[in-house]
Amino acid sequence: MSDDLLLRARDVSYGIGGRQILDCVSFELGPSQITTIIGPNGAGKSTLANIVTGLISNFEGEIERRPGMRIGFLPQKVYVNTLMPLTVERLLRLTRNPGAGEIDHALAQTEVGYLKQRQVRSLSEGELKRVLLARTTLGNPDLIVLDEPTSGVDVTGEIRMYELIGELRSQLQCAVLLVSHDLHLVMSQTDQVLCLNQHLCCSGLPESVSKHPEYLALFGQKAADSIAIYTHHHDHLHDVSGEPAEHRHD
Amino acid sequence: MTFPENPPSIGMTEWLDDFLLRSVLAGLIMVVIAAPMGCLMVWQRLAFLSDTLGHAAVFGVGIGLMLQVVPIFGVLAVALLIVFSLSRVSNFNSALSETTLAIISHTGLAGGIILVGLLPAQAVNLESILFGDLLATTATDLLHMLVTTVVLLVLLVHHWRAFVALSVSREIAQAEGVEVRKLQFLMYAMIALLVAVMMQVMGVLLIAAMLVIPTTSARLLSRGPEQMVALSALYGLGALAGGMTSSYHFDWQTGPAIVVSASALLLATLALSRVLRNQPR
Repeated sequence: MSDDLLLRARDVSYGIGGRQILDCVSFELGPSQITTIIGPNGAGKSTLANIVTGLISNFEGEIERRPGMRIGFLPQKVYVNTLMPLTVERLLRLTRNPGAGEIDHALAQTEVGYLKQRQVRSLSEGELKRVLLARTTLGNPDLIVLDEPTSGVDVTGEIRMYELIGELRSQLQCAVLLVSHDLHLVMSQTDQVLCLNQHLCCSGLPESVSKHPEYLALFGQKAADSIAIYTHHHDHLHDVSGEPAEHRHD
Repeated sequence: MTFPENPPSIGMTEWLDDFLLRSVLAGLIMVVIAAPMGCLMVWQRLAFLSDTLGHAAVFGVGIGLMLQVVPIFGVLAVALLIVFSLSRVSNFNSALSETTLAIISHTGLAGGIILVGLLPAQAVNLESILFGDLLATTATDLLHMLVTTVVLLVLLVHHWRAFVALSVSREIAQAEGVEVRKLQFLMYAMIALLVAVMMQVMGVLLIAAMLVIPTTSARLLSRGPEQMVALSALYGLGALAGGMTSSYHFDWQTGPAIVVSASALLLATLALSRVLRNQPR
């Protein structure tokens, strides 16, 4: 595998109980690249994330990782054990032994330094997501995999969360693999979109994916429009109220 | 069993001859190992598993007696068989279903009672299986308990970080290199061993209670997992002391007296933690 690649997936297929979940999915992840996996419910997004992180190993096909690659992972559903007394600090030391400075730095990066001594069971869902995001940055990962990091977070928090993820990428120089169902908010920082519906419908830059016929068939014109609006809004190419007419297909 | 009016043969020269000393030692061993095991079980919502294994163990006792081997081997075999099947069928992404556990529990108990009924009446005492007989602890029982406890403690220390990670979040633990399936099976097997050995002396009900009640009290006051284990041991000691004292003074059955003491301590802690919470910090 060449140096400018972090991970290469070739013809990855996975089925469970006679049901095909992934069908010949191939893609590449480059260093410091943000890749977003989108797709409808049941498209196999989380399964693909679990294959990338190595959680699922009995798939067909091939995953090539850069030797020594470190992965930080934020699973989609983290069941927080409310029966367990556990401080945020201890949660960050769960499987590793980071120094006190490293913990403070990680929490500060996601703006939750003040939660360090709080009990995990007392956190709100948004706070917990940020703590877990901080956790994924420990140990200098080459890739962080975030499975729907904004579920349970309100819209303002969601935007801030995506900004934080962008900041983490530039600070840590790591690649990000993001699983998302919120189409329009994800797009702006993304370098590569993988549109998944068991097979890889289409992939590429956000703009090109949002015009792809298979994408439109999956998500409809409305979703495509909102993406276009959002990217343009973000890039400040138009007035805030200005409809980006050249991206309207109807 | 209550304290006998005239304790049999208290040989003061041979200190292990003292039935009181033996039962206190048995209680102490139980407290030491019940604290970490109980915490793990409560964290992983396995509290009912010890009950299930204990009830199904009646079946194991029956089988052991029928095959004319030491009952403890029958119990251990049945407990390990259950644990092994659970690890095969249970969905590892969720906790064991309480329905599954309840079904195994009742079936094991019923099957055990049938088996025991087929045996000569004096062969086995159902009551002692359920309630134990702390005051009748023999030196051999003590040795069994001690060896088991040492084995379990070594395993606990060795895998502690992984066990805690598994309890906090199966997904995170797995993603970060903890071999979740293996570890889960190991933990079930450890619980099976614990219940099989301890029930000889403690009885099913006492061991299940000692795994859960002191742990729950400790949880109310703890800020971290290790602190909870330490406090559980203290609560266990308190329950043991309270139970044996009240058993001596009021002629209560020892096992149930320990359970009731543990519950009394839990109630007191609940009240205390409520008061503490209402105070401005």
